[in-house]
Amino acid sequence: MSQTKVENRQPADVLNWILDRAMIILIILLAIVVAILRPAFIRIPSIVNLLCLTAARLPMALGVAGCIVLAGTDLSGGRVAGLTGFISAILLQSAGTATRFLQGGQPLPVPLVILIAMVVGGTIGVVNGFCMGKFKLHPFIVTLATQLITYGVYLTVSNSKQVSSLDPSYSTNFVIKPLFEFTVGGIRTVVPMYVLLAIILTAIMWVVWNKTAFGKNMFAVGSNEEAARVSGVNVLFTIVVTFIIAGALYGYTGFIEAARIGTSGPSLGLSYENDAISAVVIGGVSFVGGTGKISGVILGVFMMQLIIASMTFLGISGSITYIIKGGVILIACILDMRKYRTKK
Amino acid sequence: MGQEKVSLRKEGIGQTFSGVQESRDKQRQEILLHMEGMNKSFPGVKALDNARLTVRAGSVHALMGENGAGKSTLMKCLFGIYSKDSGRIFLEGKEVNFKSSREALDNGVAMVHQELNQALKRNVMDNIWLGRYPKMKGLPLVSEKQMYQDTVEVFEKLGLDINPRTIMSKMPVSQRQMVEIAKAVSFNSKIIVLDEPTSSLTEVEVEHLFKIINMLKSRGCGIIYISHKMDEILRISDEVTIMRDGQYIATKDAENLTKEEIIRLMVGREMTNQFPQKIDTVQDEEILRVEGLSAQYSLLNDVSFSLKKGEILGIAGLDGSGRTELLENIFGAATRRGGKIYKEGQLIDNACPKSAIGNGFALLTEERRATGIFSILDVKENTVVASLKKYMTFIFLNDKAMEDKTDEMINAMSIKTPGQKTKIRALSGGNQQKVIFGRWLLTEPDVLLLDEPTRGIDVGAKYEIYQLIQNLAKEGKSVVMVSSEMSELLGVCNRILVMSGGRLAGEVDADNTSQEEIMTLAAKYV
Amino acid sequence: MKKVLALLLVAIMALSVVGGALAEGSAVVSWYTFGDVYLTSVRNALGEAFAARGVKVTDKDANGVQQTQLDDISTAIVSGTDALVINLVDSGAIGTATTLLEKGKEQDKPVVFFNRAVSTDNADAEAMFASYEKSAFVGTDFEEAGKMQGDLIGAYVLENFDALDLNGDGVISYVMFKGDEANQEAIARTKYGVENADAILTAAGKPALKFYDEANASKYLVDLNGTWSNAASFDYMQTILSQYNEPNGNMVELIIANNDDMAMGAINALMQAGYNTGEEGVKVIPVFGVDAVDDAKELINQGKMTGTVKQDAVGMAEAVAVITDNLIQGKDKFEGLAENVRVIDGWFVQIPYAVYTGE
Repeated sequence: MSQTKVENRQPADVLNWILDRAMIILIILLAIVVAILRPAFIRIPSIVNLLCLTAARLPMALGVAGCIVLAGTDLSGGRVAGLTGFISAILLQSAGTATRFLQGGQPLPVPLVILIAMVVGGTIGVVNGFCMGKFKLHPFIVTLATQLITYGVYLTVSNSKQVSSLDPSYSTNFVIKPLFEFTVGGIRTVVPMYVLLAIILTAIMWVVWNKTAFGKNMFAVGSNEEAARVSGVNVLFTIVVTFIIAGALYGYTGFIEAARIGTSGPSLGLSYENDAISAVVIGGVSFVGGTGKISGVILGVFMMQLIIASMTFLGISGSITYIIKGGVILIACILDMRKYRTKK
Repeated sequence: MGQEKVSLRKEGIGQTFSGVQESRDKQRQEILLHMEGMNKSFPGVKALDNARLTVRAGSVHALMGENGAGKSTLMKCLFGIYSKDSGRIFLEGKEVNFKSSREALDNGVAMVHQELNQALKRNVMDNIWLGRYPKMKGLPLVSEKQMYQDTVEVFEKLGLDINPRTIMSKMPVSQRQMVEIAKAVSFNSKIIVLDEPTSSLTEVEVEHLFKIINMLKSRGCGIIYISHKMDEILRISDEVTIMRDGQYIATKDAENLTKEEIIRLMVGREMTNQFPQKIDTVQDEEILRVEGLSAQYSLLNDVSFSLKKGEILGIAGLDGSGRTELLENIFGAATRRGGKIYKEGQLIDNACPKSAIGNGFALLTEERRATGIFSILDVKENTVVASLKKYMTFIFLNDKAMEDKTDEMINAMSIKTPGQKTKIRALSGGNQQKVIFGRWLLTEPDVLLLDEPTRGIDVGAKYEIYQLIQNLAKEGKSVVMVSSEMSELLGVCNRILVMSGGRLAGEVDADNTSQEEIMTLAAKYV
Repeated sequence: MKKVLALLLVAIMALSVVGGALAEGSAVVSWYTFGDVYLTSVRNALGEAFAARGVKVTDKDANGVQQTQLDDISTAIVSGTDALVINLVDSGAIGTATTLLEKGKEQDKPVVFFNRAVSTDNADAEAMFASYEKSAFVGTDFEEAGKMQGDLIGAYVLENFDALDLNGDGVISYVMFKGDEANQEAIARTKYGVENADAILTAAGKPALKFYDEANASKYLVDLNGTWSNAASFDYMQTILSQYNEPNGNMVELIIANNDDMAMGAINALMQAGYNTGEEGVKVIPVFGVDAVDDAKELINQGKMTGTVKQDAVGMAEAVAVITDNLIQGKDKFEGLAENVRVIDGWFVQIPYAVYTGE
């Protein structure tokens, strides 16, 4: 009797095993297909390129992931990065630039500017977290509002001006400074500084999520706010700090992006948060709240970049890329919900 | 700070087994907790009216009363979830007034809530130490190792066999309940409140819980035990305080109490009969036949039975034996793997609840609050929601017709409600259940599937529900009724099917069987 | 079901691969956005122009995000493409343009910018392009479109002055729709569209044009999203018409837009108010745009729109394709350009505008 039961279940178990990992299997298949058709895809320069793209987007994804663990979301990320990118750019514009935004000033020390960018981001995080925790507003609407406010502040302060001529101490000697350099198959390949910075940040966030009481409280609040409250967790504090960390990471993203792109302009930060949220969801951080891993976030960002890069390698038009990106997000969410939906 | 607490906790648990009888008697003298003159009002309701409670060290103090008598409110005032309007609380002689759960926990008052408040996606130990994670020495980091060891230690002392790293949602409710109890114990609290701790436990687990309670008693803890189950109360408790309508009624020694006495104090009048007189309503005609029913995603396997017109058929079994799944499969609310359903000899499909309703079935679900009532809607809307088609002219609903039907139901079942426009959540559990009965009666079903129809309903209202079921049978309707309370099945049903491990373990005649026989069958395939 | 979806995805990917047979040369074109009417016409023409030269082209949509463009270019380089063709997102951002140029220069890939300016200052741009031989810019004199539009408007108003002056106050009131607050071309078009018209009118002894709303000191209405969209101009126009109309004696008598998309939005609002329907006896408020997209040309031929300045999409695409192909082949980069195309200072390939007022 029990024998037949086991036999009955086996194919279903195999199917479940596959479906639980469908996303990663799909990505590996895609990578194999691309690698066969375009061997350059798995050469060192291409892999380093993927690494760089992932590193650039990882900090914001790590920030927004915390908000999603709280069963919330954060739409303010992109515009916060836009604002802090602008702040970083004007504080670190080369001295003596004819059109210098802050006339006649000198560039500030780089570490101070990183700090300023992260504090500005964190401050916006305080507003987000406080409105969500204290007034019980849905974070979607709170962060939509702060997104608009942040953009408005940026436009007002910057007067929509582009800020170029960034000081070498900021860009070429720091953010995009080559960490390693090597030439493979005639292509010079560079691993820039921001990759290392992203690795350090990720390590810090891993510790915060997994090894601190705050991290564990964050997951508990996301999983069951009431349970956390009756267990003596300061729920408001947990929510606010989660958003402060997120804000600080957006601030950092702005600092990095302005140097990476070479200019701060009104389009800096536009829709970054959407990319981050998509990546985080693909990485298995569920909107249900209370679940998610740092490794998932990394994987999600990496997969997203891998898909986009594959499209370029295969010469697929931008229009199709959108369909595939959307489809991947949808499939990821369907697969994710499988785990939480109890079947009857 | 965290370090200190850990060592304290260890001592506490160490003490438990060195508990000496004489010190225990001495402890019982001490008053651990005293609450007096407690008042608390919610808009329109006086939930607590000069209530009081005195709990001695090393004793189990049962707190009893019908639903809405104010037991939970009193405990929530103690625990800092509600702030009291007036009254004084003394803990070990010192006046306290906790503003938050945190403060209560820090001062040695722990509570196991009736609705399990757990972070289901986290693992067991994360839940137990939530809000007070042990830290690594000199670092702001949580020590997983310490946490694991502490959890194992607590579980060992309590004799629980649970892996501290299991994700909560992957465990059955009964185990989650035990984790919650272990958590309360781990606080090394002086006062532990258990609010309906056995509602989802199996017999074996209840025995286990009682052992734990006795251990805590010997440690000098005061246990406040809230439950509706009389047998349990009489067995486990030393003293019983009875409340009614937010007021203190009496505190008695459990030794000198009887069930009847408790019921009398709770309802304020004699209750001679718990069940209405049985009458023979069974007709010869078969209304429903189920053959080889099996479920796709649950353990229900190859269940067959038949049901006669006017019959009340009980379904007994342990939690998780497939009782609820059987009803859901008949009603089309769960995916079937195989089996046939015949109604009046005709093969029917019941592929989904909608088609089942069309075929004359009705399902009263187990979790009234979660899947029964629409809490923010009013009594009328809750009553007519399953039969809206009947009041429809073209696409417009006829208000008058709906009001008439609702009135009819309110009168027929003597539902106590201020009016049709009252939100259903404002009614007592018993009256909510009657509204749901009314909802299903309006669909004019032939077969009523009732899942725990009296769960969480107070004694007086239970009787009325039994009467209602009997009246339905008298009208020729058939009833399939799942219940965890064996006395209820014996007192109301004609015939009882016993489920075990997803299969049918046997069938007994309700008038010629005993609880022992049913229990034996229920354990058949476990 | 999920398996089916998954398989479908892989199938789509596999199919698209089969479609792209290997050509002799290849180029990746990174577009500012796929959502722009004029750019789409350039994109279509460019696809054809490259195909005619046997160059395989992959279009990438930056969707208005500079970061996306930067990352697409990085990936394009490692994918082994032969040339980079860039429609810069942040128009005028010399810092960004330099970053992109450097990426191509490092790997010795030709870099051709087009349409959107790389700098607000020609000297900066010249220095940048001078630093790398295999680079060029294909664009227009960003002031030319506005000047041409202004001349066209001046001549038209002068000829029809009395008919246009609906309230007979002797002054023509106008609206100006600006596409993007910070965009260099938008700024120039907004400026010269009125200035050049005024110059012609005042020279002939007529009063200058008057902005319809005297309280508005900026003398234009801007698409706040910076997308030069017809939605913005439509909304503005509807609001204007509710306040400024013939019964009030203050009807707007002339409409100038930075591009055809915005002109068409305004026409749409006018048509809903009963103007510019193209039918006999219905009043036409003159509307001028820039770009000469197909829809605008049709409106002009139907009498619903008055004039536009033709930005030569085909001419631009042709020039981009010629230069890119030359660079890939290692030939002289400006060899074989059309005759009317000007090359300035060895880097700036200028595609001339032309007036369009119907056929």
